[in-house]
Amino acid sequence: MRTEHDEQQTEAPVPPRPRRRGVVAGVVSVIGELLITAGLVLGLFVVYSLWWTNVIADREAAKEGKNVRRDWANSGPGALDTKGGIGFLHVPAMRNGEVLVKKGTDTKVLNGGVAGYYTDPLKAVLPASGTNGNFTLAAHRDGHGAKFHNIDKIRTGDPIVFETKDTWYVYKTFAELKETSKYNVDVLQPVPKESGAKKPGHYITLTTCTPVYTSDYRYIVWGELVRTQKVDEKRTKPVELR
Amino acid sequence: MYGWIWRHLPGNAWVRAFTSLVLVLAIVYVLFQYIFPWAEPLLPFNDVTVDQGRGATR
Repeated sequence: MRTEHDEQQTEAPVPPRPRRRGVVAGVVSVIGELLITAGLVLGLFVVYSLWWTNVIADREAAKEGKNVRRDWANSGPGALDTKGGIGFLHVPAMRNGEVLVKKGTDTKVLNGGVAGYYTDPLKAVLPASGTNGNFTLAAHRDGHGAKFHNIDKIRTGDPIVFETKDTWYVYKTFAELKETSKYNVDVLQPVPKESGAKKPGHYITLTTCTPVYTSDYRYIVWGELVRTQKVDEKRTKPVELR
Repeated sequence: MYGWIWRHLPGNAWVRAFTSLVLVLAIVYVLFQYIFPWAEPLLPFNDVTVDQGRGATR
């Protein structure tokens, strides 16, 4: 009869160590808040890489593209200034308008929302040189303008058009490599054998990372020059772009 | 932690809410402007070129 009553009596007046519990609860809640914060910061990083870098890069590329076009309009024929960019790439299948092409494939160049032509490990052969070779380009798949985001939409037979100051170079896609090692520099060879090309010619190679949002592998698209067209006074687009 | 900050902000609830908002925006700005651009190249999400890397010797 006495047990329950007694226990209650002995327990009730004991102060239930509020200090200790308070400290532990405090530490746990700080850790919890830090974890929530870390989660939010990672979420913000995704927003940053997939959206904000595009905003910045597109703005920069638009400005530089405008400068290039203005320089073209103001300079005499033949003058080739490779600093601001050498021309524009138009790939209707990617549905992203024109992509400014600049020299180099450094992060710094590509982060400007442009496609860069390779200078390393194999030098790209520019179409304007007129010689046989491979015009090799790289651009971001995601973020920083994501200029080659839709590279997987390009099919064999689709046109790839490169516009310079006075010539339209019209290429036709003849091979895609959906996944290859990032060390596969042979895709940049003047005659890229993996594409099925056998003899020297005027090739174009687009490289970017795959699958989307990662950079485990590389996606390659090859094209070959079909024809060139002189740029007229109104810069009329070739039929492939209309 | 956040409770502690809230308790130490001056003013009434509205002023505190406003100050908190400004603080959050400031932190987001610092992240987008300085921290993320610094961290991004260190992470392996955005390499697009083919290169020789470490393994190949061509």
